[in-house]
Amino acid sequence: MSRAAAGVALLVLVAPAAPAQRVAVTVGPQFALASYREVASGLRYQGTGFGGALSARYRKLSAEVGVVRLTLDPTTGSAATSGFTATEVNAWVAYDVATYASVEAGFIRRTADPEFDAQSVGAVRIGARSFYEIGPGATLLFRANYLAAPKFSGGGHAGFSIDLGLGLDVRLAGRLHGTTAYTFQRINRKTNPGGTGEIDVPIQETVARLGLAVGF
Amino acid sequence: MTRYLCALALLAGFAAPAVAGAQAVQNATLSRAQQAYDNLEYRQVVSLARAALRERLTGPERARAYELLGFTYGALDSILKAVDAFKQVVLIDPERQLDPNRVSPKAYSAFDVALRQVLLVRQLRVDSTSFVGGRGAVPIRFTVTQPARVVTRAIGGAGAGSYVIDSGAWNGQVNLSWPARLANGDPVPAGNYTVVVEARLGQNTFSAAQPIRVSHGSVDTLQSLTSLPGYQYLPETEVPPQSWRPLGLAFLYTGGALIGTLGLESSSLGSGSKRELAVVGGAAVVTGFVMTLRKPAPRPAAANILYNRLLRDQIARRNQDIAKENVARRQQVQLTLVPLPKPSGAGPR
Repeated sequence: MSRAAAGVALLVLVAPAAPAQRVAVTVGPQFALASYREVASGLRYQGTGFGGALSARYRKLSAEVGVVRLTLDPTTGSAATSGFTATEVNAWVAYDVATYASVEAGFIRRTADPEFDAQSVGAVRIGARSFYEIGPGATLLFRANYLAAPKFSGGGHAGFSIDLGLGLDVRLAGRLHGTTAYTFQRINRKTNPGGTGEIDVPIQETVARLGLAVGF
Repeated sequence: MTRYLCALALLAGFAAPAVAGAQAVQNATLSRAQQAYDNLEYRQVVSLARAALRERLTGPERARAYELLGFTYGALDSILKAVDAFKQVVLIDPERQLDPNRVSPKAYSAFDVALRQVLLVRQLRVDSTSFVGGRGAVPIRFTVTQPARVVTRAIGGAGAGSYVIDSGAWNGQVNLSWPARLANGDPVPAGNYTVVVEARLGQNTFSAAQPIRVSHGSVDTLQSLTSLPGYQYLPETEVPPQSWRPLGLAFLYTGGALIGTLGLESSSLGSGSKRELAVVGGAAVVTGFVMTLRKPAPRPAAANILYNRLLRDQIARRNQDIAKENVARRQQVQLTLVPLPKPSGAGPR
């Protein structure tokens, strides 16, 4: 969490100092819808939340930070008896390797409160994204990230973890942008409780974020 | 008989200039002095002319009084006094000339000696002329009565500038040629100028001036080009034709996310919620549809930009040639120079 905060602070500090014609910065609030599953099909949650996102672009280099706080409650038929609050921080730094493609790296950090109601996760993101301007001021984005070296509050490891994303940024008027982003996250977590052998305890989350942003 | 004829000739020589100068005389004493001179009463001329000089006289009257004294002293063989009197004459009227055929040799030589003892710039003449700039010059003539450093300038014109025509050591008759051009080859601006000749010898200076008017003939300069006949600038942006591409891309990206989600869902967790994907994917598809209907954004037209650049370069080159041609035409303007009436006030300083 402290690294994420430092990253956001760095971007906020750098943005006003950079020449306006060189760096494009957008910042704004977001509303989120989320769905979360863990361990088995019976343990599922749904909820909403609020957050914010900040992005910056300098020539071929871009960076993006998003913070969202989700309140997740058990869905109908869920085995869970109580909900929890998840705070998720995502950060990326990307470099354009082609007109419509970038390679990117970053991290994800999701913490659950109460701590043991769901797994807290931290991982490094490595991946690529494709973006295309489908019209004046409207850009579509698709990303695929591999979540490397994930860490869980409940222990265990994950050999395969992936994060897919779909994003849309539309310039509504002047500096005002509308943004939407979809994230699908699948983490094949395995644990070995009591040394009895590994069992699958996968984690799956989908988040949709809708927001407004102001460009500078 | 011969002596009588000589005396008669001498009398005629002294009398001739006196008649010309007497026309302007208003002062009674000076008139009496003139009358005495005409009657060859030289003693009386001296006393009357001196008396007249003590009275209030105009400049020409004062010059006339000194001239009478000069002629009289010449007739009385007082050459030094004659020279002093003639010095006063030329200081008052630097342009004063004596006709050697009509005055006595003694008086003429005394006048000539007087001229050589006073620093004067006389007989400044600027002739009317007309010539093409760079192919002619304005003749300027004047006489300096003593060896002196002489600077000749033209002052005035549109910018009230000062143009040095010549600077050198001169004595006697001086003939100068002024091409009436600036250092860059352009002709001096049209307008009224004053040609000032300033002579300096030690502490003594004398200047003479002659007003002139410089006028330019008409110059047919070429207009700068803003376009080339038959060649038009092309639009540097072009609007691509409308297509279904934005909607297709929205479906492609959304479909990719959907397939990825479906393919990567964990079987043990069951089918997850598609609410989030429906929201974002729906927004993407709607946006794609709107963008399909909207007029596409103009894009830079590389070929047109290159063509316009070449056209601009070509026009710029042509305009450079035209500018050079116009400079040459302006420098070759017909210059007409006319002297104007002299103002009063030139004199020793």
